[in-house]
Amino acid sequence: MFLRLVTDSFTRRPRRKLLTMAALALGMAVATAALSVALDVGDRLAQEFRSLGANLLVTPEGDSLPLEIGGVDYRPVNAGAYLPEADLGKLKTIFWRFNIIGFAPILEVPIQAWSPASKNWSSPGAKDQHQVTLIGTWSQHSVPIPDGTTYVSGIEKTNPWWNVEGNWFAENSDECVVGAAFAKKLGVKIGDTLNVAAGTQPDWHALKVVGLLSTSGPEDNSVVAPLPIAQNLAGKPGQYRRLYVSVLTKPEDAFARKDPKTMTPAEFDKWYCTPYISSIALQIGQELKGTDVRVIRRVAEGEGNVLTRVRMLLWLVTFAALLAAALAVGASAAASVNERRTEIGLMKALGAGSGLVGVLLAAEQLLLAFVGGGIGYALGIILARLLGERIFGAAPEPKLFVLLIILVLAALITLLGSALPLRRASRYDPAPILRGE
Amino acid sequence: MPLTPMFWRIVRRLLTANYGRVFVILLALGAGAAVTAALLNLQIDAKRRLTTEFRALGANVIVAPRDTSNHDSNGTTLGQALLTLLPAENDGKHVPAVAFLYVIGEVSKAGTRHYQPAVIAGTQGQGLASVRPGRRTEFFAAEEGNSHACEVGAKAAAQFGVHAGDTLLLRNHGRESSCKIYSIVASGGAEDTQIFTGLATAQSLAGLPGRISLIQLSVTGTPDSIGRFITDLARQIPGADVHGIKQFADAEGRIYNRISGLLSSTVLLVLLLTSLCVMAGMSNVAIERRNDVGLMKAIGGSVRGVVRLFLAEAIILGITGGIVGSAVGLLLSIWLGKAVFGVAAEPRWIVYPFAVGLTILVSIASAFPLRRLASIRPASVFRGEG
Repeated sequence: MFLRLVTDSFTRRPRRKLLTMAALALGMAVATAALSVALDVGDRLAQEFRSLGANLLVTPEGDSLPLEIGGVDYRPVNAGAYLPEADLGKLKTIFWRFNIIGFAPILEVPIQAWSPASKNWSSPGAKDQHQVTLIGTWSQHSVPIPDGTTYVSGIEKTNPWWNVEGNWFAENSDECVVGAAFAKKLGVKIGDTLNVAAGTQPDWHALKVVGLLSTSGPEDNSVVAPLPIAQNLAGKPGQYRRLYVSVLTKPEDAFARKDPKTMTPAEFDKWYCTPYISSIALQIGQELKGTDVRVIRRVAEGEGNVLTRVRMLLWLVTFAALLAAALAVGASAAASVNERRTEIGLMKALGAGSGLVGVLLAAEQLLLAFVGGGIGYALGIILARLLGERIFGAAPEPKLFVLLIILVLAALITLLGSALPLRRASRYDPAPILRGE
Repeated sequence: MPLTPMFWRIVRRLLTANYGRVFVILLALGAGAAVTAALLNLQIDAKRRLTTEFRALGANVIVAPRDTSNHDSNGTTLGQALLTLLPAENDGKHVPAVAFLYVIGEVSKAGTRHYQPAVIAGTQGQGLASVRPGRRTEFFAAEEGNSHACEVGAKAAAQFGVHAGDTLLLRNHGRESSCKIYSIVASGGAEDTQIFTGLATAQSLAGLPGRISLIQLSVTGTPDSIGRFITDLARQIPGADVHGIKQFADAEGRIYNRISGLLSSTVLLVLLLTSLCVMAGMSNVAIERRNDVGLMKAIGGSVRGVVRLFLAEAIILGITGGIVGSAVGLLLSIWLGKAVFGVAAEPRWIVYPFAVGLTILVSIASAFPLRRLASIRPASVFRGEG
């Protein structure tokens, strides 16, 4: 009988119920879409921020002071400390290994470069030689990880703004990429050969130019070649001087800025197991012995500031959308209860108690809430997908707990909206209502 | 029904007869208007604020000598006078600009006589901390601004074993100078190994009076506006090479566009759905009037007249809800701006009429189902049929 009454009320006046449901579904669609985007945006933007490049810099601990101006180190090759390239696989064994999205070692060597096409290249020391920095690094290097797998990384991941016309050099080849400004000065094009020699080494290398690099930085005036070539020229096989690491991090909050040394063990565990830039830096330092891991502040902090703001902003938008939807749906629910005074009067006249009437109407509203909430959720997920794909090129994953939140919310809103009119209705005296007063 | 005093009397009665109902409608419409106004205002403001937040990235534009081929410390330089030619503002925001002169000299802690080579960067201009962001681990405010004060990068400080308050001796090719450390700064970049002195100190050490290596600027603005700044500046000072730092300028532009697109589309979506939701809710409330419509028709009201009556009611409710709600929304956005960015959002008045207009539109649109009631047969209403 109870069920029949509820179903009856739905089939008898479908248009009315449809409108309430539409309001509910739309309101819940806003909530779902906003919630999905807000939940997803942190990860997506963090990924986006990696286009700023590396946020950690690893250098030898006991190094002499680098004489670096505008990205070029003026130290002689024999000064300062080096790090072993073979250790780099250990980076992918730290607790937050999956947050490391790329790393690349750098070894810079001052060299002489000349183009064999322009002059007599058999006499090193001729006037058309140019003093230039050769940057040895990885383009697409397969790093062996201690667990037996390999990981592909390179300079493109840590310095994504390095724009190469042509191709990157292949690993372990005699190829190179020449800075655009230097190439112009030298008159070399893609496909030409470039000869390089280091002052300390008697022999020279012939490198094939496969690409032109433009970075708008000092690299425009340099030659970028595979790391083994730089190691060979510098006489430092298997070693590098600087390592750039790009990691996905959680923006630093007040807790992250605490000094780890003053933390209690429980706090330290929490800090260690949160992908803060500082805790990842510590973990890398523990794996790579004898290094000094520094946070590149301008990158890390710029990212942190913007991410925190945007996330807060989106939560606000979500909350505002929820509020407006709740009020509109509540108004609609209130109206639909209000107009059923006669029905309520009749039921009471037939002997139904206030409680039963209340339960009956509440059951109706709940049914409405679940159906409307479900439709709204589906609609909202589609909208969130469209938004995500348009802006980030990737749709947010539909999350089941969002559906739960939405259903609970829908039930709460409809019940709250109809609570007041219901209370009034349960107090009605049937007689005047049935008389039509 | 023409717009007679009678018409207005009925409208007045419609509005005052049931305060509860009017309150519910106004609440829903007002909430819609408040959300519209708050989000629109916040969105405009947030985009501007974000450009400021990006300045945590430091310098994004560099003015350097045209020919940078001679890459040694005393290579090509620029005239110091260039610093005065730079525009002080972009988009109404101050542009910090700092001139640098780099010298590779020898440095030692006072009293040790143990000299080591290090990069000495002479700086002049406002906002060293803005173009070279970092954390000051030690800081003596009293010494700042002193012409013989210097700031030392964290790595260099560790190397020389110095702290704020110590004195460093500097020398280069027989020229000597000294400076008192007022701050130790950790930036994580090459700056950590440098020593920042006054420009005059570095110039005298390098023997290059009046010369600088480059100028770094931190330009606030949207990607387009920064692009315009660079082209304009390049035209103004043809002798120098003006370029954006690709690492920061590119990423900044990309991320800004993403975030601004995200905000715009989310806000648009929320506004659209909220309007629809308010509309559906209101329509439901409006249908409640079927009894009134039946009665009016029974006593001879024309369909047009009845619809007009309800439209008038809807417009009045829309205006009231819109004006009050939008005002609340604007105030709300000022407060929200403070909560998110720490700076109160500026109210933009263009938002106000827009939010009010939208609310009126929504309320009119939600009165539309009443048109259907035009087909109602008064008799069936009175018999209580659905």
